[in-house]
Amino acid sequence: MSLTVVNPLDERPLPEGSAPPRLTSVGGARIALLDISKGGGEVFLDRVDALLRERYGVSEVLRFRKPTFAKPAPEAVLTDIRKAQPHAVIEALAD
Amino acid sequence: MLSNGVVAPPVPGQPLSGPALLAFFKTDCPACHLALRYLDSLSRSLGSGDHVVGVSQDEPASTDKLMRSLGADLPLRFDRDLEASAGFGLEAVPALFLLDRSGRVLASSQGFDKADLNRLGGELARLLEVPDPELARTGDGNPDFQPGCVSRHLEPESEATAAEIPDLYSRRAGRASRIDLPTEADAEEWCYESGYADPLPVVPPTVERVERMLAESGLNPDEVVAHVPPNFGAASAEKIAANAVMAGCRPEYMRVIVPAIRALCDERLDIHGVQGTTHFAAPLAIVNGPVRLELGFACGSNVFSNAARANSTIGRAFQLILRNLGGAAPGRIDMSTMGNPGRFSFVIGENEEVSPWGPLSEDFGIEAGRNAVTFFCAEPPRPVSEHKAREPKVLLRAICPVLANLWSYRVCKRSEAVVVIGPEHAATLDRGGFTKRDVVGFLFENTGVPVSEYDGDGGEGTHEAGFYDECVIRGVRCYRKFRRPESIRVMVAGGPAGKFSAVLGSWATGPRGSQMVSYQFA
Repeated sequence: MSLTVVNPLDERPLPEGSAPPRLTSVGGARIALLDISKGGGEVFLDRVDALLRERYGVSEVLRFRKPTFAKPAPEAVLTDIRKAQPHAVIEALAD
Repeated sequence: MLSNGVVAPPVPGQPLSGPALLAFFKTDCPACHLALRYLDSLSRSLGSGDHVVGVSQDEPASTDKLMRSLGADLPLRFDRDLEASAGFGLEAVPALFLLDRSGRVLASSQGFDKADLNRLGGELARLLEVPDPELARTGDGNPDFQPGCVSRHLEPESEATAAEIPDLYSRRAGRASRIDLPTEADAEEWCYESGYADPLPVVPPTVERVERMLAESGLNPDEVVAHVPPNFGAASAEKIAANAVMAGCRPEYMRVIVPAIRALCDERLDIHGVQGTTHFAAPLAIVNGPVRLELGFACGSNVFSNAARANSTIGRAFQLILRNLGGAAPGRIDMSTMGNPGRFSFVIGENEEVSPWGPLSEDFGIEAGRNAVTFFCAEPPRPVSEHKAREPKVLLRAICPVLANLWSYRVCKRSEAVVVIGPEHAATLDRGGFTKRDVVGFLFENTGVPVSEYDGDGGEGTHEAGFYDECVIRGVRCYRKFRRPESIRVMVAGGPAGKFSAVLGSWATGPRGSQMVSYQFA
């Protein structure tokens, strides 16, 4: 005899979303770096910041920071990023 | 959507001959994928002729790729300019239209709905004077209903689309689907292959078992107890029950599991972060109150291991729920570098019967004698052995260096700790007149890291030394390990013989990390 089981999984379809197209060049672009507050993050990001300007001609690097790596970015941080209207955001992990 | 009785606008390609079921779809819509499987089998059952026709809103290449992955070969049309989609008044896909011989709409449906599929398939069969095919059965492994996606012609102009915002607040969820296992299937193997389990065998969550579990909870099956991070899957009573069955729980354990799932998903505990960390942390549940004896929780010997069904299976149910509803499975979201054996199960009862002090839950304002579950996101236990000490201070001095090593030796003011005092140690402390407050006070005052360890080598914890609090411990200048006495919690558990205790360190703490939570229940 066949058994009938109750599905124990989350049955919702995965939410759909897609990233905007990649920039073809970062020359002259305004780039946001989101520091997730991991130890040593600022050391790594300072270097990325400098490289973006010196080597890739990025016109402006904007720096944002999550209050803690342990939780998702609060809406206030996301709003600040949106207001700055960067051409791209790099969520910058570091440890 | 075109109303019934209206003559439909032309479809792309050759005019249709005879009654037909048109199905608009797009390739990146999961509900469309579901619908196409059933429509393909309907098309096959009707034989030759364009009676079931898919209308793709996408290019032939991506459409063909999808058809291959579905193993489907129903006749297709391509609505490249999306004029037909607009003309049929689509809002969402999949969108089905049953047309008669003259192209008039007889019936329609949007989204994936087995009842609609069966109704439209049945009407088409009647028009063609063939037997009614039973198309989509409840319990065949697919949901009965799934909302569709917005029709391609109504998508926003932006080249990016935001993912749906997770549902955090609904108190009711859809019912869990029922799945009829193939008669030849081995049920345990089937559950494992379906991704229901951790790597251990599970008890198949049959309808009867889940219903027995639910009856004990006193909840409606669709009642949502919590939304489980990080994916925020709804932990409905029915889903909790199904996972508890799989973990091997008895129905009466639901009185602990339900309030514990609420506690586990309390934002203060930040299970969201714990599930995604590379650290060792896993949620440890500590049970207090009469329920320990009523349900047979291990509080004594082997309290951290495999001594009692209640501890082992309830802890496993928590982990299965986090994995199956929260989505944090190892190798996907859970990328812990070393992991933690507590990710199989991590539940202890306090040995209140031999404790000279009040229960742990009292620290959180819950009256002694009440049932409570307290969560602490913990590293694995670190052992303390002290078989010679006859005085409380000598004994506690054996615990201090273990505490000093939490997180990383030279990192101070970051960790919290739960110190599980073994019964023999508790007796020594009690004989020496030490209250719980005295124990915590001594451990706080006497746990530090010598300043001489900070010699400029740049190791972890050394850069923040300027923020640490200096103190002198036994004549040595030290940095105090803990931020405040409340960073250390003390409880009693373990067996009667053996002068051992255990220390458990935390993950990130405080409002920016994980805070202990304690929930009272009946």
